[in-house]
Amino acid sequence: MSTRFPLISAKPSRLITVALSWFLFVAGACLYLYTAAARHRENPEDRVTPTIGQMVHGMFGAALTSPDQDVDPTQPATVVQRFSRGMLWKDTLATGRRFFYSMALLLPAVVLGLHMGLFPYVGAFFLRFVLFFDKIIALSLLPILFIAFGIDELSKIMLIVVGVTPTIILDTFNLARTVPGEQVVKAFTLGAGDFDVAYRVVLKQIWPRVLNSIRLNLKAVMLFLFAGEMIASTDGLAYRIALLRRHMGMDVIIPYVLWVALLLFLVDLAMRLVNRKLHPWFRES
Amino acid sequence: MVSRVLTGMPMIEIENASVAYGSPLRPVLSGMNLQIREGEFVCVLGQTGCGKSTLLRLVLGSERPLLGRVLIDGRQHCQPDRTRGYVPQKYSLFPDRTVLRNITFGGELSEFNLFGRLTPRYYRRQRQLNEEAMSYLRRIGMRESDAGKYPDQLSGGMQQRVAIAQALLTKPRILLMDEAFSALDPSTRKEMQQLIRKLWRETGTTILFVTHNTQEALSLGTRIIVLAKESPDHGSRVALDLPVPEPCHEEEIPRLVCRLESVSQINTEVDSVPGRDSVSVVLN
Repeated sequence: MSTRFPLISAKPSRLITVALSWFLFVAGACLYLYTAAARHRENPEDRVTPTIGQMVHGMFGAALTSPDQDVDPTQPATVVQRFSRGMLWKDTLATGRRFFYSMALLLPAVVLGLHMGLFPYVGAFFLRFVLFFDKIIALSLLPILFIAFGIDELSKIMLIVVGVTPTIILDTFNLARTVPGEQVVKAFTLGAGDFDVAYRVVLKQIWPRVLNSIRLNLKAVMLFLFAGEMIASTDGLAYRIALLRRHMGMDVIIPYVLWVALLLFLVDLAMRLVNRKLHPWFRES
Repeated sequence: MVSRVLTGMPMIEIENASVAYGSPLRPVLSGMNLQIREGEFVCVLGQTGCGKSTLLRLVLGSERPLLGRVLIDGRQHCQPDRTRGYVPQKYSLFPDRTVLRNITFGGELSEFNLFGRLTPRYYRRQRQLNEEAMSYLRRIGMRESDAGKYPDQLSGGMQQRVAIAQALLTKPRILLMDEAFSALDPSTRKEMQQLIRKLWRETGTTILFVTHNTQEALSLGTRIIVLAKESPDHGSRVALDLPVPEPCHEEEIPRLVCRLESVSQINTEVDSVPGRDSVSVVLN
């Protein structure tokens, strides 16, 4: 059976690899366009599958018109002014601000996980509680959070804290534990103190892996952020998507979804590049 | 080199130390006694699982005996510190630091705290440390162009060379080496043995070298200690304590190898008297 077509040991050429990797994108787009065209032939007023033209128009509208009623649309303004007052920009800013607050709150989680992994007393104090906390379904706490913290920013940030920080704490904890004991002993014999070992040896070594772990959890951060925004907010990308659902505004919803995906992809890419640039010694295996 | 051994108090004293692991407790060392003087090059031999590394960790201070005590310069230590350098078999270098930064790390750590690098003195001292590290780099037979490499770009032998330089830069009084050359190929191993022997002569550091290779122990040490269990449910103790004649004659070696390798077997066959102290065999 030497002439059998190999599967695992197959070596596809570059052209075929590229073609295969883009196939589903093209097929998805074609299928959508075909469905949209067919539905519009039957009913020109169809709102479920907007055509490309409608989506471009909708997106320009979202980008250039202000969500506030008090801004007079007839007043002359440059494109930049109109864009900076537009829905898209304001929503992105609002969501972005919340996103960065939540990312900043992940740093204490990393520090806590590091200490839990290295200092047995800290580990004994926190580990069981964090493991328990990790099992709580964050979204089930949403009503409690709204009751306890009100429906303003704090409860949305708290939702992310409840949802994502236990994962980050436990990830960092495990990473800190995987650093070989020889390294810690070696650092002590070179004259290190406890905190030198924690920050100059262990944290420095696991930092690229911690960043990767945060990258993997970006989606969870966004998930909780969107849940919070959809239920109780007056701005933000998810608020807009939820609002447009009432008007069946698919011509804006679909571009918004793609825009969010693009933003998240860019954040992830930036983190990956920075990680590689800052840690040339780190090889993902 | 035996003349180098100073008279007076021993530097490392292990008194009746017992160590056991697991539950139910499985003894590793029981009632072990050992004294090491300053300037000695002691090789610890023994079969796998006989507690060689445990003995090293006792001296290192990363482990404490269940019973008995371990004194270094007459004091007990509860944690590894600068007086004892350490070269393990692997993971001896910090992967996030270049060769140069690995070697200077000892100086950085002992002179500057976490925020030390914010002071201008740090950068002045860094330059001095770099020069010192470069001279060590040449002494261990590495090129200056290797200084900027990361540990995973080096071969196993090179990594161990850097690890030795790193440990020696802080000028420890005792150097503890745990199977440090065991993962290296025979020719590299030979070079490393010559290197460590040379450095020992130059620095006069006390060295405790754990190995399972009898030839290696004979070519390195001034004194060889063989650990062996008297019976499977007892922990190990010093079964043979042998000063190596210096220089060791070539024709002596096969006889010594034979003698050292027979010790562990003798002790598992003969049911020794409990509480018996170490057998000291003095040649010449």
